[in-house]
Amino acid sequence: MSATTQLPAAPTPPSASSPADDAPRPPQRLRRGALRSERPGVRFAAWATVVVCGGFGLLPVYWLLATSLTPRDQVFSYPPKFFPSAPTLDAFAALASNDQLFGYLRNSVIVSVITAVLSVLVSAYMGYSFSKFRYRGRRSLMYLVLASQMFPQALLLVTLYSVFSAYGLLNTYTALVLSFTTFTLPLCVWMLKGFFDTIPDELIEAARVDGASRLRIIHSIVLPLAAPGLIAAGLFAFVRGWNDFVFALTLAGPEKQTLPPGLVNTFIGEASTAWPELMAASLVVSLPVAIAFIALQKYLVGGLTAGAVKG
Amino acid sequence: MSLTLPQSALSRRRVLQLLGIGAGTAALAACAPSAPSSTGAAASAAAAGGAKTDFAFSSWSFTEEAAAPALEAIVKAYQDQAGVTVDDVSFPYNEYINQLTLQVKGGQFTGAAHVDVAWLGSLAAMGKLQDLSALTEGRGYTDAALTAAQFDGVQYGLPWTIGAIGLVANSEILQKADIDPDAFPTTVDAFEKALKDLKGLGGGLIPYAASTKAAQLKDILIWMETFGSPLVDGDTVTIGDDASVEAVTWYKSLYDQKLIAADVDRFDARSLFAQGRAAIYDDAPVGRNAVQEESPDKDLGSKLVPLSRPVLKDGETPRALVWGGAIAVVDGEGAETAADFAQFATSDLDTVLADYEVRGLPPVTTEAQQSDVVAADTFGSLFNDRITATSTSNPFWKFTAYSQIETVVAEQVQAVLVGKTDAKAAMQKAGEAAQKLVG
Amino acid sequence: MTSSQTHTLEHRKSQTAPRRLSDGQFAVLLLLPGVALLAGVVLYPLVAALVTAFFEQSLVLPGRTFVGLQNIVDVLQGDFLRLLRQTLVFTLGTTILPFVIGFALALALNTRIRGAKVLRGLMLIPWLVPGVVVSFLWMWIFNANYGVMNALLQGLGLVDDPQAWLAQPGTAMGAVILAKTWQSFPWMMVMLLAGLQTVPIELHEAAEMDGAGTVRRFFAITLPHLKGIVGLVLLLEFIWNFQHFDIIYVLTGGGPAGATQTFATAVYETAFQGYDLGKAGALGLLWMVLLMALVVVYVRFSEKGEER
Repeated sequence: MSATTQLPAAPTPPSASSPADDAPRPPQRLRRGALRSERPGVRFAAWATVVVCGGFGLLPVYWLLATSLTPRDQVFSYPPKFFPSAPTLDAFAALASNDQLFGYLRNSVIVSVITAVLSVLVSAYMGYSFSKFRYRGRRSLMYLVLASQMFPQALLLVTLYSVFSAYGLLNTYTALVLSFTTFTLPLCVWMLKGFFDTIPDELIEAARVDGASRLRIIHSIVLPLAAPGLIAAGLFAFVRGWNDFVFALTLAGPEKQTLPPGLVNTFIGEASTAWPELMAASLVVSLPVAIAFIALQKYLVGGLTAGAVKG
Repeated sequence: MSLTLPQSALSRRRVLQLLGIGAGTAALAACAPSAPSSTGAAASAAAAGGAKTDFAFSSWSFTEEAAAPALEAIVKAYQDQAGVTVDDVSFPYNEYINQLTLQVKGGQFTGAAHVDVAWLGSLAAMGKLQDLSALTEGRGYTDAALTAAQFDGVQYGLPWTIGAIGLVANSEILQKADIDPDAFPTTVDAFEKALKDLKGLGGGLIPYAASTKAAQLKDILIWMETFGSPLVDGDTVTIGDDASVEAVTWYKSLYDQKLIAADVDRFDARSLFAQGRAAIYDDAPVGRNAVQEESPDKDLGSKLVPLSRPVLKDGETPRALVWGGAIAVVDGEGAETAADFAQFATSDLDTVLADYEVRGLPPVTTEAQQSDVVAADTFGSLFNDRITATSTSNPFWKFTAYSQIETVVAEQVQAVLVGKTDAKAAMQKAGEAAQKLVG
Repeated sequence: MTSSQTHTLEHRKSQTAPRRLSDGQFAVLLLLPGVALLAGVVLYPLVAALVTAFFEQSLVLPGRTFVGLQNIVDVLQGDFLRLLRQTLVFTLGTTILPFVIGFALALALNTRIRGAKVLRGLMLIPWLVPGVVVSFLWMWIFNANYGVMNALLQGLGLVDDPQAWLAQPGTAMGAVILAKTWQSFPWMMVMLLAGLQTVPIELHEAAEMDGAGTVRRFFAITLPHLKGIVGLVLLLEFIWNFQHFDIIYVLTGGGPAGATQTFATAVYETAFQGYDLGKAGALGLLWMVLLMALVVVYVRFSEKGEER
């Protein structure tokens, strides 16, 4: 973490490689402002924001929880009860005996973790190349990477299906990991490029003077320094794999299916939707990830701090 | 386009190599034109006999809490009998046909596939379904059931659970409004009057939880037929004719009078019905279990009553849409045993009756239909007499794009319901769009 | 960083590198894995799919026929403009709304109010609930006949009768945007929070001593500092939302009466429900031409005065 605490200072010197640095320094500092009494005002505004926006964020989560505790024969009553009158853990108990669900969870974790690792590696090389070298077409390529996400993925799906089928990759983790990794590249490459921009060239130069090879410089100097950024990028890549529905459904086949299609498969049937069970399952599978993210939060924010700012 | 690959950075050769990898796959890829013998023909005809091999069986029900035990039992019984392993494959119901289509097209899936009879046409178009007619002889399938699992006169599937979609009512609520479930109105006008009486009960009761969400607005088609539109005449779509316009106008009037409710699909209708908040709704026999399970009223099962759909003028035949499941066999590895399994699952008496105990879906052999278990099921037999007996297939099923035809019609009907356009213009538009899809 | 530095470095003898690649070659080598992925997973399938725009080709029927521009003409004569408008409404809505909420929360949680840390964690939940569940949760909330949204609004006296939020053309798009906003605002919040932490405290302190108020400091110091990251998150969100599919597909399927249909759902529907790969390809082609135009404009603007 020491890197995070040092790095944020880096963007300030005007190194003129990104538009952000051209931003004018605060110009009108000498003018006298009218607002003097900030503390209470700021606090109030902060709290008001938290209540309104936080309510928007958390009320649906509460409703997810409330529904998961409602007995099956009461979930459709209207008006719904904001506090379940006869809360039950039936839905959760039903999950414990559902082996398939754990299979989906395992698939999801495997796919998302490998996607995260691979994506970070590939993006780090790409980002480093964009950040520390200059060649013609560099910026065009950077934008092309970004633009690759604009294409209609539903259209890609039909062809991708045949491509993976031709290589015998359907119904494997590989197909999912390759797809998701590609879809995370833009964000991760741009994030890490920004991060690498803040690593002083002098450091790299010094290593080269000492005779380190270029690959070695990347692996033993740049990447460790960029660790917080790598973790942040990895977390984002993880979520991409974690959340996808259509690709996972189509490419993974029934056996390697991840949670999103798995949940739909299990709880949304031909005749009815098992709302309490669906909600309970969603909570159970989201919880470990949420806890992991909260634990890694300092990296998520800290890791981005140095990098993403410069875009 | 200024965003070309930078030639100096990535040598042209490298780029071409990369593309080459892709191009190589293009030849193999299923989207490259490759032509099996002839469009729409059966891949081959199935025959009984021969050594048994392992095969795959796909169904959306394998993961469904309520239905899965029935399927597992069938599979187990067959495995024990034939000494083979059946590999079960499952996709969510809503995505099932898309996924199955991709898998069959890409050659990923062969074996037995649980299908909705509505899908047979588009699956058959791929030329990979077997003709199963040889397996139907001497098994006691009813003619109606066999017809339901045919497409273009070819037995592409063995019927499994064939019924219809019809009106289902809560007799307790009907009686509260002084409507005798056994003497239910037979004409559309009397039906509307009954709905008004039900509305009069108050308490936010939805008299008729008809489908109003696009996903199931295809239910309107049966009302169009009731009003006298043939929907399709040969290859000509007749939607836009007076009967279809009248049907939609009537539907809209029910909507405006709040006799039917907004934002309702089949799931919603079942939930509302289960809660006692709707008196009548449209459903197939498959909905019975779901409705009972979701209801706080544990006696709801005994209050369910199937009703003949009212007709325009007394004496006409009530309309109903065939609904049902079949097992189709996709040509390839394991197909022969898969066909044998399909026959076993759909017509072995013990298997079928055990299945009936769990899923309660209408069996397809005379023997099973006349068995005590099935005959003793009042709801089931009434459903059969009042609804399934006069049911007909959706005429759009014979077109590969039937699902999109239904979608374009549904969208126009919805536009009428929400007041964006009038029935006449909308149905004309729907007819034209559907005609384009028919080709 | 200046390029001359790296170039001079290249001439120094390196002990460990057996083969001598120029810096340029090395830079390209680093790009290769990523470029290979992009070529295989995006570029090739894309080209293959776009080629179908000129053919009449079915998802299920074998074979295809060349039809020239017929598909494109059909699409343009259909409700292309409506699709474009709706796509833009959805994309702008789901880019701006999460940005505003995310930014507001980032600012609020960047202060020293109690519980900020816990809240930052809690706010991540919507982003981590599996995507499809987000759709189903909101479908559940918005349902006309038993949804909690109606109960809440009726309880507060804001609506008289339960509204069919997802089934009325006037409200469906808003409802879909709200659901998507819920899913993506945490991401915006995290990115902007990260940005906020790089704003040097000294600048604020100095400005405060000079008597600049909170609002003034926000516009004079905070905002200019965040310019880079704000640009990036807005651009990425725009791109992602332009082709967003899952939530619309599950919530409304493009309805009612096509009121929430966007390019993404229309392409899927055309390909998978209509089995019409040709028309789906044509839609995709038009979509790309449009977006490419937008990107070129963006690149031109952002590259002003930059070396290439």
